[in-house]
Amino acid sequence: MKIIILFLLISVTEIFPQQKIADELINAVITNYNRVKDYEVDVEIKVDVDFLKVPDSKAKIYFKQPDKIRLKSEGFALLPKEGLDFSPAALTRKDYTAIYEQDVMLNGIKTSLVKIIPVGEQSNIILSTLWIDPVNKVIRKVESTTKTNGTFTIELYYNDSSKYPLPEKMVFSFNIDKLNLPKAFSNDGNPPSKRKRIPDAPTKGNVIVKYSNYKVNIGIPDSVFEEKQ
Amino acid sequence: MENFKDELIIEIKNLSKNFKNLKAVDNLNINVFKGDVFGFLGPNGAGKSTTIRMLLTLIKPTKGNIKIFGKDLQKERLSILRNVGAIVEKPDFYGYLSAYKNLEILSRISGHDISKQRIMEVLELVGLAERYKSKVKTFSHGMKQRLGLAQALLHDPELIILDEPTTGLDPMGMKEIRDLIIHLSRDQKKTVFLSSHILYEVEQVANRMIIINKGTARVEGAVKELLDASNLSVTFEVNNVEKAKTILLNTTWNQKLKGITNNKMEFSIDNNDVAMLNRFLVENGIDVSSIIPTRSLEEYFLKITEEAS
Amino acid sequence: MITLINIELYKIFKKWRTYIGFIAIGILVPIIHIAMVFEGKNTIDFMTRNIQQSFVFVGNLLNTYLISYIVLTSLTVHIPFLITLVAGDLLAGEATAGTYRLMLTRPVTREKFVTAKFIAGIIYTNLLILWLALMSLVVGYFIFGVGELLIIRGEMIIIFEQKDVLWRFLCAYGFASLGMTVVASLAYLFSSLVENAIGPIVGTMAVIIVFVILSAINVDLLQSIRPYLFTNYISSWQLFFDDPIDMPEILKSIGVLALHVVLFFGATLIIFKRKDILT
Repeated sequence: MKIIILFLLISVTEIFPQQKIADELINAVITNYNRVKDYEVDVEIKVDVDFLKVPDSKAKIYFKQPDKIRLKSEGFALLPKEGLDFSPAALTRKDYTAIYEQDVMLNGIKTSLVKIIPVGEQSNIILSTLWIDPVNKVIRKVESTTKTNGTFTIELYYNDSSKYPLPEKMVFSFNIDKLNLPKAFSNDGNPPSKRKRIPDAPTKGNVIVKYSNYKVNIGIPDSVFEEKQ
Repeated sequence: MENFKDELIIEIKNLSKNFKNLKAVDNLNINVFKGDVFGFLGPNGAGKSTTIRMLLTLIKPTKGNIKIFGKDLQKERLSILRNVGAIVEKPDFYGYLSAYKNLEILSRISGHDISKQRIMEVLELVGLAERYKSKVKTFSHGMKQRLGLAQALLHDPELIILDEPTTGLDPMGMKEIRDLIIHLSRDQKKTVFLSSHILYEVEQVANRMIIINKGTARVEGAVKELLDASNLSVTFEVNNVEKAKTILLNTTWNQKLKGITNNKMEFSIDNNDVAMLNRFLVENGIDVSSIIPTRSLEEYFLKITEEAS
Repeated sequence: MITLINIELYKIFKKWRTYIGFIAIGILVPIIHIAMVFEGKNTIDFMTRNIQQSFVFVGNLLNTYLISYIVLTSLTVHIPFLITLVAGDLLAGEATAGTYRLMLTRPVTREKFVTAKFIAGIIYTNLLILWLALMSLVVGYFIFGVGELLIIRGEMIIIFEQKDVLWRFLCAYGFASLGMTVVASLAYLFSSLVENAIGPIVGTMAVIIVFVILSAINVDLLQSIRPYLFTNYISSWQLFFDDPIDMPEILKSIGVLALHVVLFFGATLIIFKRKDILT
């Protein structure tokens, strides 16, 4: 339904110039990002989610173009799926239509708002909105609505003096409608957890990831990505 | 056997025990002096075990008072029991432990410093030294009885309370126990309180005794006196009762004739006259096939035993 | 008193029935371990299926902590039975064997006698729980290693950091010991009333099972009785696996259980002191 309405809207306004601008913006970001062939980075993950109590964890993320990515940790680490791979290419891997909307200020920085509508039924994402920084050629924010898992937002913070378009911090926020926790090993007869929740209420949460010690273009072998998780 | 009349070892006063509707012991009074072998007689169910259990604080009396070694049993239980050794009914032990281990545990619980040597000594005394390592569950009843005696003697107590100690023993075993009791009393100057339902057994060893029935005392006193005072009756089994009656009619023996049952004639005479009467009957053509003496005490005891069963 | 306790412990450990508990745990726990070797991954997947939709995670979640947690939850009826086997026999067994006459004619007060046996019974209980802890945690460690502990409490998924887990287990096992001490005290009380160990064993288990059933039925009247049933507090060891820890609730549970121990043991003392020994 949303798609139909959007289409009509877009067809009324001049679709082609908006699309052209959007494509240019996205390509600039991708080109910039493609300077990174691979990287290894230390991450600190802090999870603040309604139904989840998880300790802060430390891990390493490995990335190699175009789409190899791996999370490794000595102990335990939990990361939102969409936050593992934030390369612009990931967002644009499938067929899509991109529309430039307008320029907006985001945290004091001028950004261009681009809407991405995936084409076809395969994608879980219905609609994404990107806040693209045209000057630094990076994505500063993504907001996506999914079919089954509600809406999530990724905010990316960069160290402006850094050589590569790799964030130093990512804040992943989400909102999902229903929760289906298995009853196994939880006993109804038990005193409930002190952190009470209203069952089936919309779930909110934040995951904050801090990146440090980037090692970029070091020639990571494929074997790093082949091990079983 | 001596008794030191001035030292009371056991003093039971007005002792009673009621179980719901049953008066198991009713107003019992007993005095046992130092050095006594005191016979506590009664048929089964007379209240003997109940009394002994009260003596050993297994049961609380409903009424009455018990003093042992001059001390109140309720108030000075621990110091009294330290000096008492007892067997209560059938001796039961920890079957899964050896004879030695059972005795060792008992001595440690009592706080007595009993050496291994002493334990073996006592086992030797009761004839179980060779089986000291065997688990008690492999013991016969007689062997358990002996072990019961061993645990009673282990700490060399002043007062020994034995509840039917010869039950289940063969005649040889019974004699050994009787000899042991005499030895304890005569040679070791122990006081022995012995309960039994066999008069003959008590006669052999005791110097003083009491017969109880249905919880109350019936007869008591020094054994010798009781037996002497107890009238002897002798039953002569004859071949011709009518003829014997006729012969006896005009003699003094006739006054002593108590009764006739079939061909048995019962006379109330003492030991000395038995041979004389026998000679008289035989010389007068009466064949005597048997002469059975009974004492009235024995008869009395038999009677009440029959009643009880 | 120490002598008496030592003697009672000696007697307890000389009886074959004492070893049933240790053997049972020695078999049951490894069976659970073996099952988890094959099915453990499925279990984790099942527990985390919801977060797996949106999250990627790494870590050794199938570790000795998770399995020990599962062992503790699934054995809350089995362990009481193993406790009653010994505790129910402590006094009744003497009656059956006829050894009351032997023991209670010694120069020892009945209070000391009963107390020493009780303490020996508690020691057995604690040893059994210790054995459970060793079989779960230690054997599990060699098979599965350590890692974070993932548990589900009501609507929450809680993952405890590896270094934040062991002390919780130590407290939980300690708490389980207290819970089982209550069971032992009840069996002991029943044991003082009868002459055969079967009665106390069956009686105690009947009480536990009835209380557990009553607690589980979702009827208002029965739910209002629930706080008064001691079985309700035996599983409060799970309170240690919460963040933040509900200390008042834990202390309340400890208090209730301790009170039960005192009451049951106190009753036993009174009964036994007055008892006529007829066996």
